[in-house]
Amino acid sequence: MINLRSVTKRFGARVAVQDLTLNVKPGEIFGLLGHNGAGKSTAIGMMLGQVWPTSGEVIVCGHDVTRNRRRALERVGAIFETPAFYDYLSGWSNLVILASYTAPTRKQRIKEVIEWVGLTGREHSRVKTYSHGMRARLALAQALLPKPDLLLLDEPNEGLDPEGIHEMRQTILRLHRELGLTILLSSHLLHEVQQLCTRIAVIRSGRKVYEGPVAEARRSTSRWRLVTDNFDIAVARLRAAGLVKSASDRNQIELADGVTSDRVVRFLVESGFNVHEIAREESTLEAFYLSLMRDTESTHDAGADLNSVPTTNISNTR
Amino acid sequence: MFLLQFRNELWKLFGKKRTYIGFVMFLLAQNVIALVFRYTHASRPMQRMLEAGGQVAEHYISALTIATIMLVPSAAFLLPLYVALIGGDLVAKEAEDGTLRMILCRPVSRVRLLMVKFLAGVVFSFLLVAALGVFGLAFSRMHFHWGGLFVWMPEQSIFSLFDPGTGLSRYLAGHLMLVSEAASIMCLAFMFSCFNIKPAAATILALSFVFVSFIMEHIPYFKDYQNWFFTHHLNLWQLVFAETVPWWRILQSLSLLAGFNATFLTIGVAAFQVRDIKS
Repeated sequence: MINLRSVTKRFGARVAVQDLTLNVKPGEIFGLLGHNGAGKSTAIGMMLGQVWPTSGEVIVCGHDVTRNRRRALERVGAIFETPAFYDYLSGWSNLVILASYTAPTRKQRIKEVIEWVGLTGREHSRVKTYSHGMRARLALAQALLPKPDLLLLDEPNEGLDPEGIHEMRQTILRLHRELGLTILLSSHLLHEVQQLCTRIAVIRSGRKVYEGPVAEARRSTSRWRLVTDNFDIAVARLRAAGLVKSASDRNQIELADGVTSDRVVRFLVESGFNVHEIAREESTLEAFYLSLMRDTESTHDAGADLNSVPTTNISNTR
Repeated sequence: MFLLQFRNELWKLFGKKRTYIGFVMFLLAQNVIALVFRYTHASRPMQRMLEAGGQVAEHYISALTIATIMLVPSAAFLLPLYVALIGGDLVAKEAEDGTLRMILCRPVSRVRLLMVKFLAGVVFSFLLVAALGVFGLAFSRMHFHWGGLFVWMPEQSIFSLFDPGTGLSRYLAGHLMLVSEAASIMCLAFMFSCFNIKPAAATILALSFVFVSFIMEHIPYFKDYQNWFFTHHLNLWQLVFAETVPWWRILQSLSLLAGFNATFLTIGVAAFQVRDIKS
């Protein structure tokens, strides 16, 4: 659905996005993660033909956005972090105006969308009287008007209260479930991304440092939970044998490089320990993200330039 | 589609309160000028001039004459200000408010978007000039009788006397020509508005361009180059009030203004096309 091929964007001397390659498949909820200024919004801007790439190709819905923007965006809806509207006009008028830039839209369709997002009864009030949550719903309504196949959400939870964030999460899931939309979500609310997305890409200083399924990212920790008769003595023996790097007092061990869990179990059993349980600890996305940021930061600190920031893929973190 | 987008652009433009600033100011300014003429001796010099020429002054100190007198300062100062304000707003204000980003996530081409906005600006210019003419005539008629038209524009060497019928037709033709001035200044501001600048900056740049052109045009050393100055051609509406209308000169100015506008529009479109739209 979205294909970014070695896309680079420079603003003068500043590199906002460098050599970014992304592939968002139809039907998935894809998360784009990164700190403020990492290049997420620039990447989305390029997908929408609002920002012109310095080099590389941006393919959306099978069409090159730079060359054939009209075809590429025919079935695309987008929401930005602070959706802007003509505050002096009604919600209805705003929808009519914005829809006209795609195709003439029937009144019935506008009514349907207003009902879908839960704005019925307030559609003829001026937007300046809307709450933040209502503006978010109106933003969603305008994105849904062209019956999109693809929805680009750039920080859609920005400024929403916990109730609003919950509502937005449910709406995104509903859109995915009921309308079968492909959704690209940019956010730094990792908890939200963890709950919504099937795959993620992490961008740091304009470069992709990770791309893979969320589930894999959460499993990519090297920590294991070990339940045995005497954890402390077992760990001491494992350390002495060079099978574990570290251990915590919560039955967690970190295996040494190249060591697999079956080797640990065999060693413990042969050493006379009863092993009741050994399982990989499932990390949170937040923990994964922070460790990824630390890793790439230390690469920077070691004097590496941008080009040497490693792109992590799941195969070498397992 | 184009017509629908154009209608919506007008809807946006005339839904904003600031669009009406010019209309309200013309309403007030022309009312005040008409009152000053009515209740002071401001018309005395005109009366003396007419009587010195052997004319019946009372016949020519009429609603049409006062409305035309009011037109000169309004066209020179107020009209450029209000059209530049709207022209400067058309793109830059949407960029500043963030609505431009909302529009440009849709499959509309940037050129089409600019054309729709430009046409809305032309419609605004036309309506503002129409308001200028209607308000001027209405307020002067409230305080002065219906009579002949006396026009004295020394800069254009115009000293004309018309009967009421011809006077009215010249008054209408003058306003029709004035639309070209309003639309050209709007187009200049629109061009600046297409760049990545604030709406106020676009308005100020357009007005600065007009003032610099006006100043240079009036420096005696540049008299031979008058045709090169933008403002020289903006005054073509005044020529309609000459006893014998110099149509050739009017056509020349109109075609040069068309050239200026095409240039402004091309620069604006090119700048907007290559621009990155970011929050």
